[in-house]
Amino acid sequence: MNREQYYDAYMKKTHFLGRLVSVVSLVLLLGAPFVIGLILGALPDMGAVARGFLSVGLVWTVSSVVEFLVYTPMLGAGGSYLAFITGNLINMKIPCAMNAKELVGAKSGTPENEVISTLSIATSSLVTILVLFLGVLLLIPLQPVLQSPALQPAFANVVPALFGAMAYKYYRKDPVLAMIPLAVMTVLFTLVPSLTGSTSFMIIPSGALAIGLSYLKYRREAKGGAGA
Amino acid sequence: MTVLEQLNSTSIYLVCGVIVAFIAVVCVVFMARAWRAGKALGMDTVRMKRAITASATFSVLPSVGILLGVLALSGSLGVPWPWLRLSVIGALHYETQVADAAAEQLGISLGSDQMTTQAFSTIALLMSLCIVWGMILSALLNKKYLNRIQRGGGEKKAGGGFGDKAMAAMFIGMVSAYIGSYVGAFISGQGSFSFAGDWTPLVVVVVSALVMGVFTYLAEKKGAAWLDNFSIAGSMLCGMLAAVLIGH
Repeated sequence: MNREQYYDAYMKKTHFLGRLVSVVSLVLLLGAPFVIGLILGALPDMGAVARGFLSVGLVWTVSSVVEFLVYTPMLGAGGSYLAFITGNLINMKIPCAMNAKELVGAKSGTPENEVISTLSIATSSLVTILVLFLGVLLLIPLQPVLQSPALQPAFANVVPALFGAMAYKYYRKDPVLAMIPLAVMTVLFTLVPSLTGSTSFMIIPSGALAIGLSYLKYRREAKGGAGA
Repeated sequence: MTVLEQLNSTSIYLVCGVIVAFIAVVCVVFMARAWRAGKALGMDTVRMKRAITASATFSVLPSVGILLGVLALSGSLGVPWPWLRLSVIGALHYETQVADAAAEQLGISLGSDQMTTQAFSTIALLMSLCIVWGMILSALLNKKYLNRIQRGGGEKKAGGGFGDKAMAAMFIGMVSAYIGSYVGAFISGQGSFSFAGDWTPLVVVVVSALVMGVFTYLAEKKGAAWLDNFSIAGSMLCGMLAAVLIGH
């Protein structure tokens, strides 16, 4: 079997397995509240679930569709099946996979990227599962230390800490381009402070703006290159 | 037995533990397959190992943050359910918001002593339900979508590959949205242009960016490439330490 045939067979099986585990996980996760409800002798109040879904569920549905469209190509097949089951995309899985990809120099859409991103997402998920497992075991003795008021600011700021590091990493690639979405977002959040509650949605216009600008620059450079 | 004691009972741990274990096995299977495929495709195992180590070190700190999310929710939902949600599917922001919204629908608030067993199972179901779409779309459309992108990508490659630039730009946009929100929250968070909002996140951003700069300098200019594995985690830790020192 040559390399291409091998990869095709691998991908076919990845899709099969990915679909299978996605469906099984779905059934398990939706079934669990009912099983727990039976154990506790109190099944979910479906009316409240429906009302709750109408208020917050629709918002998350839109964001899930966007996440699917944006992240699937970044992560490749195996990586994205795993990532959508294991969650924590923006705050961990995506930067983690991008970091791994960068380290080994794999290009988007190549078999190499498919392998690296699956390895990266699987590792990241296992680390989370392990840390949480150990954490839950240690929860009782650990609680006073971790909940000590002195440490709270650290954990409350884990997201800014992540984005600070990512900012240096990505802004230096194209500082001029980066200044425009940063300025636009800063003005927007300053004028409409209530948007802070939906920062995850503002990623969409901000990302679109950055991609648009990057595309214009890319086109201009491609033209300039052809002319020279 | 109080509601919280019921939520922390062995049988609930068992239900949640079985699901966590299932997903851990799935991760191991995918990892082993990818490793074998990488070898068969002639990839350098040193680089694959590097990707694994980097991903593991990268994930430790965010995972500790996620663990804190379990702690935060354990006061109202018990330990096992938040453990399951945050181990395998959710993100802390999402879980907290949806749990809170579900509690609102039931006319109670999270962390209060009004929690009942039915309120719990209702909240748990809504938490599961609102985030299923990624899995559903993946199961239905992943293959088709990737094949289409791949075909499109093939054409784009001839033009010099805008794909990687687009991903970098997407990241620039994402980072900008978050940093913009911190600046906005500081300037207008406590009233328009009052400059009285929380400035800790801004300091954290600056500190972790600076430390990242130092890491990058050492890795690129001083030949300490191994430091790259710890650059993001190290920068985050320094940024978080800054928050502790400020004490906000």
